[in-house]
Amino acid sequence: MSTKWKWALPLCAAVGIGLAILWLIHVRTERLQHRLLAAAPETVAGDPSLLRFASAQARPLYAQHCAVCHGPHLHGNPAIGAPNLSDAVWLYGTGSLYDIERTLLYGIRSGEDQSHNEADMPAFGLRGILTEGQIRSVVQYLLQLNGRPYDVQAANEGRALYAGTGNCADCHGSDARGNNDYGAPDLTRNVWNSGGDPQALYNAIYSGQHRIMPAWRRSLSLEQIRALASYVYAVSHSS
Amino acid sequence: MARFLAAFVYRPQRTLYLPALAVVAGLLVAGAGLFRPAPRLLTAVPPGYVALVNQKGLLFSDFRAQVEMETGKSFADATPAERRRVLREMINEELLVQRAVVLDLPETTNEVRTNMAIGVNTQVAAAVLAYEPTDAELRAFYDKSRQNYTTPGSMTVQDLVLHVGGYQNADQTLAQAQGDAAEAVYQLRAGASVDYVLEHFGFSRSGRAADGEELDFAAKLHLGDKLYQVASTLRDGEVSDPVVDWDGVHILIMQRHQFPKVADFPAVRDRVYLDFRNAASNHATEENLGLLRRQASILLAPGQSE
Repeated sequence: MSTKWKWALPLCAAVGIGLAILWLIHVRTERLQHRLLAAAPETVAGDPSLLRFASAQARPLYAQHCAVCHGPHLHGNPAIGAPNLSDAVWLYGTGSLYDIERTLLYGIRSGEDQSHNEADMPAFGLRGILTEGQIRSVVQYLLQLNGRPYDVQAANEGRALYAGTGNCADCHGSDARGNNDYGAPDLTRNVWNSGGDPQALYNAIYSGQHRIMPAWRRSLSLEQIRALASYVYAVSHSS
Repeated sequence: MARFLAAFVYRPQRTLYLPALAVVAGLLVAGAGLFRPAPRLLTAVPPGYVALVNQKGLLFSDFRAQVEMETGKSFADATPAERRRVLREMINEELLVQRAVVLDLPETTNEVRTNMAIGVNTQVAAAVLAYEPTDAELRAFYDKSRQNYTTPGSMTVQDLVLHVGGYQNADQTLAQAQGDAAEAVYQLRAGASVDYVLEHFGFSRSGRAADGEELDFAAKLHLGDKLYQVASTLRDGEVSDPVVDWDGVHILIMQRHQFPKVADFPAVRDRVYLDFRNAASNHATEENLGLLRRQASILLAPGQSE
């Protein structure tokens, strides 16, 4: 080979090595991608390497699609009733990867038949079901349930309303531990989607809760949804 | 080493090599794309799916949810036979749906069309219904549509009629009948009994008014528009002026009249709340239709309008 072309040898070698590395990364990514989607959700949940891979894939997706409501660190946003996704407390299902994935696929009150759409928290004050005073009593009862300072007399009235006129027990249960089948939160864990101070609790009862979440299957691929579900699962179970 | 480094000395003609190489590579890639065969049909089920039906994937997640719903067991506890049955049902359904598309059911079946329209409206309304109104918004809505929260009125009324030229008055003219009726009204207002008027002026009960209390709409139906209009202005115990209708001269005696009343906001706030949300949902539907219409090409035949 003449001296004239010798400059090309190292260049080609560098390009070749670079392409080989890229190819290897691509093959490995493809393989992990396939495993992530082909495995049952329970398998993914038990495989740290898959969860790591999924989380890396999901972080930019989360930032782009989910963070606007649930916050950049998955801590939720009480102002709009977006729940904290990092605390392993779940409105729907038990927090399994499969449950999270179903919620991502079909959303909550998204207008799709398969979305979570079983019940609404009525606007007790707006609709005149409970008076303002009665709502304040129920709030005191909630404070009592969570071991926070409360007014005894009002809490007693609130307890009666909870089981009676308010019909709260129908969804949240007579023990106030909620029902994950239709998104009624546990009222005894001091975890509140719309804020836990007395005024926020009052507002939630007065105006009701009718939050929605889109059905992401229309705008994200199956791979992306599985990655996001795995990411949320990993974060919520990391502690 | 010196010879190796000499290879990196700048040579003007070399500047052409790399662009030329890039052009050739680009042409090769474009050519390969141009003459590449159409995507091959999938011959294996991709991960995340449970089956392919005419290349349409059925989600494994949906399959699992369906198994759990139909059997009432967790997916792991469902027997293979139960899983097979559910999968068969899902495949059958997919086949029927695909067939429905081929048969163009949206074009030919009213039920399908209706459900499709409802489905779109439901999706459009979903986001709107997430909004919880404030008290002020509810009250403003109530103020704007008070007429919708009116309690219906009711009345207990007697309707006496003097048939012109009727019993014992073969030669009676309308003017005479009106004169008799005016006198009867005078007597009634002065405290005479209805029986007295019936007996002395030849009036009879028209049979249009019910014996007891009836709601406004029913009274309107029974009395007819003309008499109802007069009755609706009478207060308790009032006697109307004579009213000429197609069957004679009438006198209305109002025993009890409960006028329609606009309900107070607190009494109807639940209805206002539901109406507010319905209105919001309808508004979203209309907005969506407006958008669809703006984007659509709609041509009407000559002489047609909508």
